[in-house]
Amino acid sequence: MNRADAAPAIAWDGVQRGYVPGETLHVPASMRLHTASSDEVDPVTFEVVRYSLMDINLEHGRTLQRLCVSPVTMITRDFQPSVLTQDGDLVFLGPYLQYFSTCQSLTIKWILENRAEDPGIEPGDMYVSNDPYVGAPHQPDTAVLAPVFIGDELFCWVSNVLHHSDVGGSVMGSFCVDATDMFLDPPAFPPFKLVSRGRVRPDLEQMFLRQSRVPTNVHMDLRAAISANLVAADKVTTLVERYGADVVKSVMNRVLDAGERTVVERLRRIPDGTWTHRLYAEAARTGDDATYAYRVRVRKTGEHLYVDNRGTDPQTGSINVTYAGFVGAFLAALTASLTADLAGAYGGVYRRVHFDLEPGTLSCADFPAAVSPAGMYTMETLISLSSTVIGKMLACAEPEIARLAIGPAHPAFYALIAGGATADGTPFIATNADNMIGSLAASPAGDGVDFGGHFWIPEGTASNIEELELLWPMLFLYRRALSSGADGAGRYRGGRGFREAAIPWTVPGLGAAVYVDESFPKVVGPFGANPGSMGHFRLKHGSDVRDSLAAGRVPLDFEEIDGAEAAIEAKGPALMVAADGVWEWTGANAPGFGDPLAREPERVAAEVAAGVLPDSDAARVYGVVLGSSGQVDGTATAGRRDELLAGRLMAATLPDGIETMPEDIPLHPLGGELAIVERDGEPAWFVTVSGRVLLAPISANFKDGCAVLERPVRQLGPEFATQEGRAGWTVRYREYLCPLTGRRIDTELVREGDQPLHDIVLATAEAPR
Amino acid sequence: MYYIGVDIGGTFTDCVLVDQLGNHRTAKALSTKDDPVSGVLSGLDRLAEAEGIDLPTLLARTTRFGHGTTIGTNAVLERQGGRIGLVATAGHRDALSMMRGAGRVAGRPIEQVFSVHGSRLPEPITVPGAVVEVHERIDASGTVVVALDTETAVKDITRLIAEHRLDSIAIALLWSFANARHEQALVEALTDAAPDVFVSSSAVVSPRLGEYERTVATVLNGYVGPVCSRYLGRLAERLAAAGLTEPMLVMQSSGGVLPAATAAATPLGTIDSGPAGGLTGVATLARAHGHDRVVATDMGGTSFDIGLVIDGKPVMAEDNVIDQYTYRLPRLDLRTVASGGGTLARFDEATGSLRVGPQSAGAQPGPACYGRGGTEPTVTDADVVLGLLRPEAFLGGRMPLDRDAAVEAMSRLAEQLGLSVEHTAAGILEINNMRAASLVRQQTLERGHDPREYVLYAYGGAGPVHAFGYAAESGVREVVIPLGDGASTLSAYGIASGDVVVYRELERGLLAPFEGERAEALAAAVAEVEAAARADLRWAGSDAGDVVVQVDALMRYREQLMHRLEIPVPLPAGPDTGARLLAGFDGEYVRRYGSGGTAMFESVEVFAFRARASVPAGVPTPEPVGGHTHPPETTDVYWPGSGWTATDVHHGAPAGSVCGPALIELSHTTIAVPPRALLVSGARNELRLQLPTPEESPR
Repeated sequence: MNRADAAPAIAWDGVQRGYVPGETLHVPASMRLHTASSDEVDPVTFEVVRYSLMDINLEHGRTLQRLCVSPVTMITRDFQPSVLTQDGDLVFLGPYLQYFSTCQSLTIKWILENRAEDPGIEPGDMYVSNDPYVGAPHQPDTAVLAPVFIGDELFCWVSNVLHHSDVGGSVMGSFCVDATDMFLDPPAFPPFKLVSRGRVRPDLEQMFLRQSRVPTNVHMDLRAAISANLVAADKVTTLVERYGADVVKSVMNRVLDAGERTVVERLRRIPDGTWTHRLYAEAARTGDDATYAYRVRVRKTGEHLYVDNRGTDPQTGSINVTYAGFVGAFLAALTASLTADLAGAYGGVYRRVHFDLEPGTLSCADFPAAVSPAGMYTMETLISLSSTVIGKMLACAEPEIARLAIGPAHPAFYALIAGGATADGTPFIATNADNMIGSLAASPAGDGVDFGGHFWIPEGTASNIEELELLWPMLFLYRRALSSGADGAGRYRGGRGFREAAIPWTVPGLGAAVYVDESFPKVVGPFGANPGSMGHFRLKHGSDVRDSLAAGRVPLDFEEIDGAEAAIEAKGPALMVAADGVWEWTGANAPGFGDPLAREPERVAAEVAAGVLPDSDAARVYGVVLGSSGQVDGTATAGRRDELLAGRLMAATLPDGIETMPEDIPLHPLGGELAIVERDGEPAWFVTVSGRVLLAPISANFKDGCAVLERPVRQLGPEFATQEGRAGWTVRYREYLCPLTGRRIDTELVREGDQPLHDIVLATAEAPR
Repeated sequence: MYYIGVDIGGTFTDCVLVDQLGNHRTAKALSTKDDPVSGVLSGLDRLAEAEGIDLPTLLARTTRFGHGTTIGTNAVLERQGGRIGLVATAGHRDALSMMRGAGRVAGRPIEQVFSVHGSRLPEPITVPGAVVEVHERIDASGTVVVALDTETAVKDITRLIAEHRLDSIAIALLWSFANARHEQALVEALTDAAPDVFVSSSAVVSPRLGEYERTVATVLNGYVGPVCSRYLGRLAERLAAAGLTEPMLVMQSSGGVLPAATAAATPLGTIDSGPAGGLTGVATLARAHGHDRVVATDMGGTSFDIGLVIDGKPVMAEDNVIDQYTYRLPRLDLRTVASGGGTLARFDEATGSLRVGPQSAGAQPGPACYGRGGTEPTVTDADVVLGLLRPEAFLGGRMPLDRDAAVEAMSRLAEQLGLSVEHTAAGILEINNMRAASLVRQQTLERGHDPREYVLYAYGGAGPVHAFGYAAESGVREVVIPLGDGASTLSAYGIASGDVVVYRELERGLLAPFEGERAEALAAAVAEVEAAARADLRWAGSDAGDVVVQVDALMRYREQLMHRLEIPVPLPAGPDTGARLLAGFDGEYVRRYGSGGTAMFESVEVFAFRARASVPAGVPTPEPVGGHTHPPETTDVYWPGSGWTATDVHHGAPAGSVCGPALIELSHTTIAVPPRALLVSGARNELRLQLPTPEESPR
C-alpha cells in the first residue's frame, strides 16, 4: 500500500500528515531484521506451519475475548489480533474488526522507522499507540504491538487493537462530535514503549489511563491486550524452535505471495477502467447542518488498483479520518468482496492496491483535524463508499467475478453512547453496539440478509437485552425488527435492521452523549434500488411510560407514547434524560439491488404473508397488487407497474432521440437494467436491458442517454421525510431511467449545486487508460 | 444380570452388553433411519445370539438398559420436529430471529466466517408467524415491573395454538431465570387450557442469563419434544413387549442418563448426545485404570471429537450450537474439528501446498478405497497407501478396500505436489494429525495444563490407527485404546455404564467478600440448588441408591462478563465456604493466566451455581481376559520418518506386549504401533501404547 506518486513537498510523516511508508523502510542498521528464508519448504511442512500461524492468531483472539472487560470488546468483538512480518506486512488477521489490520501494519512500520534507534526495539518490548496520524482509525482504537525476537533478530510481530470504552476527550465514550480540532479530541499518543524488556512501565501506563473516564476498565483491557500478545508471541517462538526461523519466515512470505497471486488472477478478469462513487455526510460537528461530500475513485490497470479521493471536501469539524482510516476502510471492503476466501491472509492483496490521496480532505486529513468520532461515522462512510465503488467495478467483470460484489455497507455505525452513574453511584459509560445485529445489503446474487451483521466485522455480536440491563441502569421496552418498506427496496431487497427503545431504570436520569439522527439517506442501492434507511434517534421528555407499565402495558410504539418530543440534531450535544424520559433509536435496512418494480411479485406476496412487508407497501413500493387472500393479482400488478413506470417517464426529462437495438444482438449485462453491447469483440455502447435503448458510447457517460427524474429525496417516500432546515431538506435524488420503459438503471444522491458523476469509465482502444 | 447400551449412529446401531463380571460383548446392526426401533431390535437380537440366548431372555435378565438416540439432533437438522410457537415478553419477540446479529456465522468453520457470499440465516424452527407477545415485565433484580394478566395471555396463546395448529409451545420471558413466576403461571394455566400441547418454560429448560440463548434452548426443547416423546414411548413399549422389565434410560449431552419419561419431558438434553457416550465411557474406564487426566479422542469418518476428563470428571461446557443456533445447557465439553478418516486432501494452487479438510467425502461416496465412486484422496486412502490399513483385513475382512483406487487418487495429488505417493500420503497424515493435535493442545493449555501430563484415550473407527501420530504431535506419550476391540463401540459402552445424572443451575449474582449476610446468601444459594437437584432426581424416580451431589460455583471477576471458572463448592456449605471459593478461584486464575492480571480487578463474584446430582450406575469394569498368542504375519508399512519397514501384524489383542513396528488388527479397528513404541495389553482389556520420547523419535 505504497503511494503511487509521492508529492515531494509534503511530509507524510505521521506528524503533520498521515504516515505513508515508502517503498523501502528506513530502518537503522543497528536494528537487525530477520529476512532469511528457506527455498526448500515442502508442501506438507508449509501447510503445517501455515495452519499453526493461523491457529495462533485465532487463539490470540479468543484470549482477548476471555480477558477483556468492556462489553464493546468482549461481547461485540470490536478488536483484532494479527501476525505480521518483521517489517509489518500482514500475514493473518482474525474474523473481527477488519480495518484494524491496516492500523497495526502502519504503526509497526512507523515504529521501525522512528523508534528503532531510540528508545529501541528489544526482546520483551511492547509499543502502544492510538495516534491516527500514525495508524489508528480513531483514538479509542489502541494498538499494542509486540516484536518477536529470535536471537538478536527481530523475527516478526504479533499485535492487537482494542476499542477502549473511553480514552478521554470532550464527550464521554471519546466520540467527540463537538471537536473542531484535535485539541478537543481525546489525546493521541504516538507509539510509546509501555512494556520494556518484559516489564510494564507504571509511569507510562498511568499516563495513558489518566485520560480515561473509566480508567479501571481501560486498565484491565490494556492488560488483556498485553497478556494476549504474550500468549501469541510464545507460540510463535515455539513454532520457530521446532521448524526453524527460515522455514517459518518462508511460509509467511509464501502466504503473502499466495494472496497476491489470488488477487492478480481475479484482477485479470476485470476490464481496465475507472469507477467512482460519492457519498454525503451531514453535520461536521455539533450545531452544524451542512452536507459534506466524500468521493472514492478506483482505477484498474492491468493487475493493479489505483485509488484516490479526488472530489472529497476539505477537512473540517470532527468528520475526518487520516490516511490510515481511508486505507483501512477501502481494504476492508475490497478483501470482503474480492478475496474473502483467503480468510484473513490478506497481506499479499494489499500489495496490488496503490493509494494516491489528496491531503487536507475529510478522508485524508492533516494535523490537527479531529477524527475521534470516525468509528461511528467516517470509517463506515468510507467502507460503504468503497464497497459501492468496488461493486461497480465488479459489475463490469466476468460473471464469476461479478458475483463477488457484496453491496454497500451501512454508511454509519448506528449506536448510542450514554452514561451517568448507577444506583450505587458508580460511573458508567454505556456504549450500545446493538447494531452489530446489522443487515447485509442485497447483491447481484439475491436479497440481503436480515440481521446479517456487517461484512467488515464478521463475528460481531450484539448484546442480549438482559446483559445490558445487568450492566447499565436501563429498562428496554422493545427491540424489534424494522419492517421492509421503501427503505431497502429493490429487485433484491436489502436485509432488515432493528429498532429499540429504553428508559432510565433505578436511577433519576442519565445522559445520551452520542447518537445518530439522519435527515437524509446516505446510501443508494446499486443499479436502481432504493436507498437504505435513515438512522434515527428520538427522545421524549415527561413521558407516560411508567404509567403504562404500572397499568400493565409495555409501550411498543414510540408514536403512541405521550410526552414532549425533543428536537434532535444530527450530531447534537449530550441530552439529559430524566426518569420519565424515553428514547428510541434505529439501525437500518440495508439497500437493495436493482429496480423495486422488477422484483418478483411472488416474493412480495410471500413477505406480506410473513409480516415482513406491510400490506399497503406491496403496491406503493413494488407495484404489486394482492388479492383478498394475499395472492398476487397478476393483471392488476402488471397494470399498476405500467402505471408507475409511465408516471416516472411523465415526470422525467427525456433525452433527445431514442435509438434501440435489434432483438438479435446479444447484451452483456452489468447489473439490473444496464448492459453493454460489443462491436468487433470490444465493448461499444451502454444499453438498457428492458428497452434495448442505446444510452451512450462506452467512452461516454451512460447517464447522458437516460431519462432523468430528479426530486428532493424526502419525496421518495415517508421513510425519507425530514424537517425544513435540516441538511436533508435540499438533498436531491436523481433517477436514471430507460427512456422507453421507465425502468430504473441507476440512482444518485446529489447535494444542491453538485454535478452528477460520470461513474463508470471503461478503458477503450480509442481512449487508452 | 446384564447392563445394555444401545447407540444409534448414522450408519450402525451399536449394542454393548456388560455382564456382572464386567465382561462385555458387542453387536452391530445397520441403522434403520425410517424406523430406528427396528434397527435397535435387530441389534439386540444379534447381541442375544452372540450371548447364546434369545431376546426375551436377554431382556428379562437386563437390569439396566441405556439408549443413545440421534432422533432429537436429526429432528432439528432436518426440520422434522413439532409445530411450535413462541410466547415472548411484549417488545421482545424478535430476539429469536435477530440471533444477536451472529446467526449468519455461528458455529460455521473459520474458513467460511470471513465470507458473506452465500451465507444465510438458518431456517426458522418455530412455525412462521406463530409468536405471541404477552404484556409482562420483570427487571434485572427479579422485581415484577408489569404484572402478567394470565387470563388474557392464555387466551392469546390458545388462539395462537388453534390458528397455527401447534402441538408445542415455548415460553421464554425476559428475566424468567431471576423470577419464574410469570412463566410458571402460564405453564400451569396451559396445562388446563391446552392439555395436549407440549409446553416448555425457559426458566426450567435453561435458567441462565441471555434471552436469545435461553429462547433457543426452550424452542429447541419444544421442537424435538413431541418427536422424542413419541419415539421413546414407542421404543419403551416394544422393549417391554419383548421382555424388558426395567425402565429404559436415555443418554444426555451432559454425560448422564435419565429415565425415558424424564428424558421425554426435557428432551433438549438428547440433542447432540451422540458423542457424549464415548466420553462418559472414558470417564468410567479412566477411574478404573487410575488415570487422573485424560484427553479422550474420538476419530470417526468425518470428524475428530475431543473431551477432557480431569480428576475422574468429564469437563463441562455450556454453550452449544446446532445449525447456527446457539443455546446454553450443561453438557460435556466436546470440541470438534473436521479431521476424520473421510477428510479430503487437495492441492492448493495459490500456495502450491497440500491442504487437508475441512471438506469430507462423507459416507457417500466415501474414500476412494471404498470403491463407491470417490476419486479424491482422503485420510483413509493415505492409511491404505502407507499400509497402515490392509485392504483385505479392514473391519475383520468384512469390507475389503480397493488399494488401487487409493493409490490412483493419491498419485494425481502427488503429481501436483511434486512428491512421491508415499510422501503425499504421509503428509496427509501429518497435517491431519497436526489439526487434531492443535485442538488437544488448545483444550489442555487453555486450562493451564501441560498436555504431557495427560493420557490420551483413542477410540472411534479411525482413532486407534492414527493415535500414535496425533498423540505424539500433542506431546502426549501414553495412549490407551479402551476396551481393545470395544474401542469402536465405546459410545454404547458409555451409555450402558453412565450414571443417572441431573443438572440444576441457579443464576444468582453474589459479590465477594462473602462475609455476614453475603456468606448467608451464599450458603442459602448452595442449599437451594442442591435441594433442587435432589428434587429433580426424585422426580425422575431415580433417588434410590447412593445419591452423590456436587455443586460448582461459576465465578469470574465481576467485570469479565464473558469469562467463567467453575470452582467446586465444598459441601455442606458453611461459614468458610466463601473463603475457600475465593482461594480456589485465585489459584485457578493464576494457573491459567499468570499472576499479572489479578491485582487490577476490584471484586470476584459468583454469578451462578450448578449442581450435579447422580446415582452411580455401579456397572462393573472389565475383568482381564487373556490375549492371543498366534504368531504374527508380516507386511510392509510406510512409517512416517522411517520409510517402508517390515511390520508384524497381529490378529486380535496380543498377550503381553508387542514392540513396534506392528499392526494389531481387531475385528472393528486397527491399532498402529510405530517403530520404537511399545504396546502392552492392560488388565481391563485396554491396550496401552507407549510412544518413544522425542529424543528417540525420528523427527
